[in-house]
Amino acid sequence: MLSNMITIIEDNWLLLLIGQYPNGPLGGISSTLILSVLGIVLAFPLSVLIALARLSHWKVLNWPATALVYIVRGVPLLMLILWVYFLVPLLIGDSVPGFVTMLCTLVIYEGAFLSEIVRGGIVALPAGQMDAARALGHSHFGAMRYVILPQALYNMMPSILSQFVSTIKETTLGYVINVPELTFAASQLNNRLLTKPFEIFAILAIVYFVVCWSLSELANRLEKRIDKQRQGDDQPAAGPLEHASPQTRGAT
Amino acid sequence: MIQFSHVNKFYGSYQALVDVNATVNKGEVVVVCGPSGSGKSTLIRTVNRLEPIQSGQVLFDGQNVHADLKSAELNRLRARIGFVFQSFNLFPHLSVLENIMLSPVRVNAVKRGEASQTAMRLLDRVGLAHKAKAYPAQLSGGQQQRVAIARALAMEPPVMLFDEPTSSLDPEMVGEVLAVIRSLAADGMTMMCVTHEMNFARDVADCVWFMDAGKILEIGAPADFFSNPQHPRAQRFLSDLHVR
Repeated sequence: MLSNMITIIEDNWLLLLIGQYPNGPLGGISSTLILSVLGIVLAFPLSVLIALARLSHWKVLNWPATALVYIVRGVPLLMLILWVYFLVPLLIGDSVPGFVTMLCTLVIYEGAFLSEIVRGGIVALPAGQMDAARALGHSHFGAMRYVILPQALYNMMPSILSQFVSTIKETTLGYVINVPELTFAASQLNNRLLTKPFEIFAILAIVYFVVCWSLSELANRLEKRIDKQRQGDDQPAAGPLEHASPQTRGAT
Repeated sequence: MIQFSHVNKFYGSYQALVDVNATVNKGEVVVVCGPSGSGKSTLIRTVNRLEPIQSGQVLFDGQNVHADLKSAELNRLRARIGFVFQSFNLFPHLSVLENIMLSPVRVNAVKRGEASQTAMRLLDRVGLAHKAKAYPAQLSGGQQQRVAIARALAMEPPVMLFDEPTSSLDPEMVGEVLAVIRSLAADGMTMMCVTHEMNFARDVADCVWFMDAGKILEIGAPADFFSNPQHPRAQRFLSDLHVR
């Protein structure tokens, strides 16, 4: 069986890596990773906006944001994918590639989930931070931008990374609307070889595991480092904290 | 400079401030004292509207702080009132120097170079120039509070408010913070200070306000207040503290 798996990889590594590209759309693990990275990167600014709206005293902002979060949290991702799949073409009057449909869905879905992480990070900071910023004359927005968010987002980096790992796993659901990604590539392979489903899906599982486990491990290390720093008087806090300037943080 | 007239504040049905009337004049140092829960901190926090009030007026420099102000007006007002907290509230993600520079640069649009010079001068004044590059977590409580004072001073406020500035400090660090406040008083800064440090009050204050249960029960010069308090509650308070 192991030798079967190695043979399958040797014969089909390119399909698993990039799908049918350049003869077809980009697929395989590269498509999965691009989809996840774009999903998180686009969802992140959205999530900050949703979180700020959720924390706002203005009902016009608070209400729709809260409704969005509750709806998305209460609906399975698969429902959301199918819904976007059928709705978006109706709205824009043209068919949309599966990749784009999946990306839109992920941005909404991850945006809602990340916004709860962001909101939690903001609420967890001592109230004195906001008081101090306001007492110095900063506007609410200025206090958020220079004082609250830089701290909250830095503290949240491990959670955001975990959410990224979830996103990688969630891209597999793109399979149902024929998004060319890793699971799709594996199933194409299975349709072609027919007799080796166990080996093929074992390879698939191993690839997902390696990617997700490495990222989770990175999140753990990050968390330990941040914990150490929070307690850490003796630690030279200058290094890591400097990396946490608002500019670099925006790039996560 | 600061004038409270008929200030009432409620937390739900609990009345935290009861018809407060008092004035802080320019150049004056007012110490507010009284037992815990008497409304001292609430009172000082109404001056820059960190606490809203339900009725009455707080005037700062002739301007009604609790009027229906545009948020930009309120921010400008707050920028001119230095405030020092019991728990320091330094920004932990910024170095000491950046803590002090942030608001002049972002609120008052001071150039970075100029703000940095001012910050270094102020750090020197509070005796912490050598800590400019350190982060708050690397400083002792007393050092953090001195940085917090420098941070407030960087906005060049005409008045400084201190809300129990030494209450969360270890005893051996109280002196260094009080020394900084004393030097400000000597320079003629208008100040309002909530504190339990009665010796400091006796030395530095021009005027002592004694509060209990949301009311100002007694206003007097420190010499009179400490040697001959009029109100029975003030007499009991002082004898409990053994300062008489």
